[in-house]
Amino acid sequence: MSQLLEYIKMAFFNILSNKIRSLLTMLGIIIGISSVILIMSLGNGAKNMITGQLDSIGTGQVAIMSMEDPITQEDLEYLKEEMEEVDAYLFAFGFEGTISTPKGDFTGNAYGCQTDTYLFEQYAVLTQGRYFNEDEYNDAKMVCYLSESDAIRLFGNTDVIGMPVDIMVDGRTLTYTIIGLTAYPENTSMITYSSENDPIFLNLPLTSLEAALGFDADLFYSQQGNVLLNENANAKEACDKIINILEARHDCQGENKFIIQSFSDVMSTISTVINVITLFISLVAAISLLVGGVGVMNIMLVSVTERTREIGIRKSLGAKTGSILLQFLSESAIITMLGGILGIVFGFLGAMVISWLIGALAPEYAFTPSISIGAVLLATLFSSVVGIFFGIYPARKAAKLSPIEALRRM
Amino acid sequence: MDALIHIEHIMKIYNPGENEVRALDDVSLDIYAGEFVAIIGQSGSGKSTLMNLLGCLDIPTSGTYILSGQDVSSLSDNALSEIRNQQIGFIFQGFNLISNLTAIENVALPLIYRGLPAGERLKYATEALRMVGLENRMKHKPAEMSGGQQQRVAIARAIAARPPVILADEPTGNLDSTSTKEIMNILHELHDTGRTVILITHDDQIAANAKRVVRIMDGKVESDITREN
Repeated sequence: MSQLLEYIKMAFFNILSNKIRSLLTMLGIIIGISSVILIMSLGNGAKNMITGQLDSIGTGQVAIMSMEDPITQEDLEYLKEEMEEVDAYLFAFGFEGTISTPKGDFTGNAYGCQTDTYLFEQYAVLTQGRYFNEDEYNDAKMVCYLSESDAIRLFGNTDVIGMPVDIMVDGRTLTYTIIGLTAYPENTSMITYSSENDPIFLNLPLTSLEAALGFDADLFYSQQGNVLLNENANAKEACDKIINILEARHDCQGENKFIIQSFSDVMSTISTVINVITLFISLVAAISLLVGGVGVMNIMLVSVTERTREIGIRKSLGAKTGSILLQFLSESAIITMLGGILGIVFGFLGAMVISWLIGALAPEYAFTPSISIGAVLLATLFSSVVGIFFGIYPARKAAKLSPIEALRRM
Repeated sequence: MDALIHIEHIMKIYNPGENEVRALDDVSLDIYAGEFVAIIGQSGSGKSTLMNLLGCLDIPTSGTYILSGQDVSSLSDNALSEIRNQQIGFIFQGFNLISNLTAIENVALPLIYRGLPAGERLKYATEALRMVGLENRMKHKPAEMSGGQQQRVAIARAIAARPPVILADEPTGNLDSTSTKEIMNILHELHDTGRTVILITHDDQIAANAKRVVRIMDGKVESDITREN
């Protein structure tokens, strides 16, 4: 095969001496590869954006579910104390109620939670005041924090720290003092503003509800509890540990009563969904590659007919069947490979243009297209394979020509 | 001395069966190294078939062909390609140059199939072009040259790989009288430098250039005359 290089050179020469035709032959491949690359890089970019944003709100969140053997606050408290991986737990009860202000009556939610519940909303930031602390929680203080947008709905402004707010729950009016305001940073794709009909959430110590309404949260149980894992914790190991602890506490080892869904599971589900969609659209785009391949075969067949005499000359001069086969195969492989490379370039440029347009028109959805080197290599390889596959028939046809027949043809 | 070309009872039958055509019917011929032989015959006489067989472009239906001591009468296509490359230099009536290659690239073509490295190819091709007096036309493409010049390029291609046999099929058929003279002179020169030249033609005048004239008719050797000097 030392002569392979010669055939490749010949092929390049022939491609270059028919520039327009070669380019037209490549067109199908260029379109096919570029649409695959375009879709893959947009899909990848969108996935990176979505998972990136979810990542910042949700890493480390683990939902523990149990249908038969409900989870109590004590369970969660125990997990938090026993496991250094667990930063916080969420065991919250919301009571519907009515909030009345000079602005009117609003549907509200007295959301009884813990001091570190805010950690679960990693995207929200405190803009004024503070969250309630351990002492206030333990002392069942009537304090609350709410979002800026809710404050505006209630009072028309955000100058509300220290103001009382009344919520009527279960026939009783509870008066809480606002000590903090939160907000989501702008330009996130998460829903950050509550609409007119959403209830207004007052985040307050669960203990204060227990005291005011006279119930014991420890007696409440839930089919779901959330804990927040430490950033450095290994989610898989931590989840196993949680199950072990809970099973030990509930004395039901190995009964699979507790189901754990960590946020990384959710993220991998989302990734999978995006991957599947991307793959699906890419496959549709890849069909155009097939069409492109047939185009290459067509042109190569024409080329073989046109160059019958050349083939005859080469054979009379000593070219073997394999030499002619290789010459034509390298021609179609090089044409499609060049087409593939151009397609990669155009596809990625197209993706950049589209993402730039998205960024200009809808900045909150802006993302950077990304393409893995693997996908690029795969596309190049695939286009060459298309060329070789669709080149085989014309090349064989050329190689099998009898030199006498070929020379006779004018 | 063993003949360079030894063919014995060669038959070439097309369409075997009812409508068979005996293009060559029991032809035997010996050609020795250094000979200048003209094979003459009208169209349909079988001379083209003979030339295809001699040139290893085809194999006989039956009979033996021994070229340079090797039996080539039943070789595979690829083996024949190799024999052509090593043993035979073709000169065709229609020049048969590849139009998008320059003169030197055309001349170097058989050397590629021989597997020579680029440097040697260039050296041999340049030498061959110099022999036919075209050292100033090396970078020209066939379309930029006259018919005579194109045929000289084709001759250079035939001799570049230094095959023992030069097989010229109506080499002057497409040329004017001046170019014809030129080409015949070159063929004489090649013969004088010791090459075996086989000239296939229908033209008695052209055939008269050769010392030995083999006349083919209806697939048989009609006469085989060597002129005495």
